[in-house]
Amino acid sequence: MAIRDVKPTRSELIELKKKTKLAESGHKLLKMKRDGLILEFFELLNKAKNVRSELDDAYGVASEKIGFAKSVEGDVAIRSIAFALKDVPQIKLESKNIMGVVVPKIESSQVRKSLCERGYGILGTSSCLDEAVEAYETFVEKIIVAAEIETAIKKLLDDIEQTKRRVNALEFKVIPELSEAERFIELRLEEMERENTFRLKRIKA
Amino acid sequence: MELAVVGRGDFTLGFKLAGIRKTYEVTDETMDGTVRDTLDDKDVGILVMHNDDVSVLPAALQSALGESIEPTVVLVGGGETSQLREKIKQAVGVDLWK
Repeated sequence: MAIRDVKPTRSELIELKKKTKLAESGHKLLKMKRDGLILEFFELLNKAKNVRSELDDAYGVASEKIGFAKSVEGDVAIRSIAFALKDVPQIKLESKNIMGVVVPKIESSQVRKSLCERGYGILGTSSCLDEAVEAYETFVEKIIVAAEIETAIKKLLDDIEQTKRRVNALEFKVIPELSEAERFIELRLEEMERENTFRLKRIKA
Repeated sequence: MELAVVGRGDFTLGFKLAGIRKTYEVTDETMDGTVRDTLDDKDVGILVMHNDDVSVLPAALQSALGESIEPTVVLVGGGETSQLREKIKQAVGVDLWK
């Protein structure tokens, strides 16, 4: 709001005071929201770090096991065994609310299965393959957990950034401009009052 | 919803063993289209990719993967946390992922 656009009237001053009050209360609320979001973010950050390191470990183990299984069974045999598997892990995406931010909640069906439930024959395959399957089942479970936490973190970060921008805009742009306009009107009104008094004195004299 | 895996043959094979049906073996040429199709697939809840494969995709698609919530994209392999790390730096102002 440029100063030259402000009309120096009492009604405008009252209107500006109302706007400043509203902007200040909005600023206070948004600051509280930003602090709350940052607290939630810190809680999730530690979980995310742990989950990510577990995920990396699980990937390392799974890669190693599949390497062994490939060398024992051969690539084609493993591919044909993969076709025999029956159950597909299903996931269900729900949402939950963290301080107004909607984050996903992922529930999955059982990924880990017993040897008999897997669907391939146990007599014609080696234990290396069983270990590889087990390692990948664990890895998939970790992926599902990581997906939930990392998405929640991403969404929280987006909202923190947005709230920070709003807080800064109110703090450094909107409120100072309103205060400046208010001061301008007050000074102008005082000046008009002085002019009026002087005019009245001159008429009297 | 299901999990989907997009990557090279070696990468997807293990996931097939874990029972994941939507595994797509791709090359550098076919990767772009397959990733786009998987992102549009309404039945996919989580998309798993290797970090090295993501680096060959166009920048716009890489950022679409980073922003995607449904499906949620999980990158595995080395250096996968760099996007999240950058996001944290941008939002909080400090590198907290140490």
